[in-house]
Amino acid sequence: MSTTDDDTLPGIPNVGKADLDAMVENERPDPREELADVEADTDLGVAMAEDAQRVARGELSGDEYWEKYDEAAAAEFGEAYRETPNPAVDAGDQTVTTETAESLSCAVGSMDTVSTESAQIEGDESAGGIGAGDEKWGMVIDLQKCVGCDSCTVACKSENRTPPGVSYNVVMEEEHGEFPNVTRTNVPRPCMQCDNPPCVQVCPVSATYKMDDGVVNIDYDRCIGCRYCNIACPYGARYFDFGENYDDEVDGAGELTSSEYGVDRGSREEGKSPIGNIRKCSFCTHRLERGEEPACVETCVGDARNMGDLENPDSDVAQMADSSRAFQLKEDEGTDPNVYYLK
Amino acid sequence: MATQRSHFEFDPGFEDNRLRVAWYAVVVVLVAVGAYATYLRLTGGMATTNLTSVVPWGAWVAFYIYFVGLSAGAFLVSTMANVFEVEGMHRIDRDALFAAIISMAVALLFVWIDLGRMDRMYFPFIWRQLTSALSWEVHAYVAYIAILVTELYFSMRIDLARVADRTSGLRETFYGALTLGRRATSEESQAFDHRWLKRAGIVGIPLAIFMVHGGTGVLFAVSKARPYWNSGLFPVIFVISALLSGTALVMMIYVLRTRLFDGESVDPDLLDRLAQLVIGFIIVDAALTAIETFIAIASVHPHEIETWQVIMYGPMSWSFWWFMIGFSWVFPMVLLTKKSWRRTPSVMVLAGLSVVIGIIAVRFNIVVPAQVMPVMEGLPHGSYFPTLVEWGTSVGMIGVGLLLYTLGAETLPLTPLTGGDHE
Repeated sequence: MSTTDDDTLPGIPNVGKADLDAMVENERPDPREELADVEADTDLGVAMAEDAQRVARGELSGDEYWEKYDEAAAAEFGEAYRETPNPAVDAGDQTVTTETAESLSCAVGSMDTVSTESAQIEGDESAGGIGAGDEKWGMVIDLQKCVGCDSCTVACKSENRTPPGVSYNVVMEEEHGEFPNVTRTNVPRPCMQCDNPPCVQVCPVSATYKMDDGVVNIDYDRCIGCRYCNIACPYGARYFDFGENYDDEVDGAGELTSSEYGVDRGSREEGKSPIGNIRKCSFCTHRLERGEEPACVETCVGDARNMGDLENPDSDVAQMADSSRAFQLKEDEGTDPNVYYLK
Repeated sequence: MATQRSHFEFDPGFEDNRLRVAWYAVVVVLVAVGAYATYLRLTGGMATTNLTSVVPWGAWVAFYIYFVGLSAGAFLVSTMANVFEVEGMHRIDRDALFAAIISMAVALLFVWIDLGRMDRMYFPFIWRQLTSALSWEVHAYVAYIAILVTELYFSMRIDLARVADRTSGLRETFYGALTLGRRATSEESQAFDHRWLKRAGIVGIPLAIFMVHGGTGVLFAVSKARPYWNSGLFPVIFVISALLSGTALVMMIYVLRTRLFDGESVDPDLLDRLAQLVIGFIIVDAALTAIETFIAIASVHPHEIETWQVIMYGPMSWSFWWFMIGFSWVFPMVLLTKKSWRRTPSVMVLAGLSVVIGIIAVRFNIVVPAQVMPVMEGLPHGSYFPTLVEWGTSVGMIGVGLLLYTLGAETLPLTPLTGGDHE
């Protein structure tokens, strides 16, 4: 490939490798200018960066690199320099040998332990655990926008890794009228996360309960599998996990499970919860907790599904749920769902 | 009516040894079939059933409420003797109580095998839910079994003490242990037993009616999502059909055990009395069911009407017409209307058996049809027929009940040693 190449295809910009490299070089910030903004020694920084590139190219070994700079870096950064994770411990593909890494006497331990610890600290900040958030989660589904593509159902299955026979979300499709005056309504049905949930009312062991954020939780470690909630739900939103698998369709289908309600249960195994338990949509609590929308909302091609805080009057869902188009399924049941539909 | 005897013989068990062998062979086959089916159930999990998330309750739940009903009915018959002191009924007091205990044990086996997590069956005693009928029921069952055992003890203790006095060695230890150390056979001790038997019975009546069987009806009736169950009359019908099946069972047991175990003749007056009770319960049961059906259909609620259409004309309608209407009402009613037949033991065994089998269909027709209609338009319809594993385990658990009952009837003084009524 060169600029003199005559075989360039029509419509493809005639740009050579050298031009591209020049463009990159043009965009690259000047090292000295960048380092001038920080307190540390600019010369040392530039030298270490250039030698690090040599290590990457294989012209210099990692051990030699640290031998050369360890003392200077320790002098420059003080105690903070030693309080870093040791990159060589617990990892097999490092550029430095274990001996060199240990001679650096990093005080903190391996990268793995550091990342786990910081995750735990984050968890502690949101005291009260899963579902204790200030929001009151609600979903608004605009039936005018729903095209009945079922991608919410698919996204849900893949996100929650639900087994055969368990589908937290379904799209109820109905045709009305007679030809030629026919219409079709698609009504997606997740769990309604009712304010007065009949399932919670009937559970003999309180394994299913309302969380502060409005989501109805199921404690898989407590559920005895009596299926009374399955009977009581007026929306047919609960499913029993009969222990079936997609093993014939997908290799290693059960190797991973979704961390529903924030609990990581590892692989799917016989006799282990949630097999033998009741399951249902959790508004993707595990996603909400990390600031993401439920999978069905994120995937919806027509942007028909919306998720947000019903108690925040400025939120989109609160305003939509308040509109004259809004209704709930089976309003006369008194369940007061937190899923609203726009007709 | 048996007369008081100054000295009595105690020889429980089959009169005919060949019959004993044949009967145990049948029971062992039932239990063996059940054991294999249970093995399949335990290893294959709930996937061995034909249950789905649309029809989550099936044969096991139907048999569970059936045996709770048999138990409550048999118990209420026993109270006629020990609480209301109806003349001539003491003869069947212990039979009824013992059958009630065994039925309840079988009912709990059915609840247990139905759990998705059988290993967590004790969880309802650790965690509770005040608003859950099922949570209350589980506790009521335990209290009820305690009452039944207490009653049977006070009803039978004096005879256990008498038997212990007359035997020696291992047998004496066995019967002596069952008296819980109260070996007196004096009249005061008997009066004490009668007093406490009556007290336990008085506690047991509301427990059986409101909590155990009425409560089991409530468990279904509170389910607003299922209009077919969601009616105030529903738990009442539950109790009446329980009385019907329980009385029929006791009538059957009375004849069979008197004939085959005691080798005595059946008291035609007592048989007639039980038979008349069965007539009364059939009439009330049929009438209340008719009222319930009429209200459902007159409501013109589509869900109700479609459910009744499923029951009366659906693929399983044979169970409604033949078993529910035929075996539990019409056929026994025909046998019961003629006075001479009511005094003929073999005919009454047939009538009792017919009711006891027919009520099974009543229970299935309570549990299954309500789940055939989807809770919302657009969701799938349910369809259900039990798998061989479900039938096999059911047969096995019934076999366990028959085995326990027979073992008890072969060892315990279920027939009062001093004849019929309290002297």
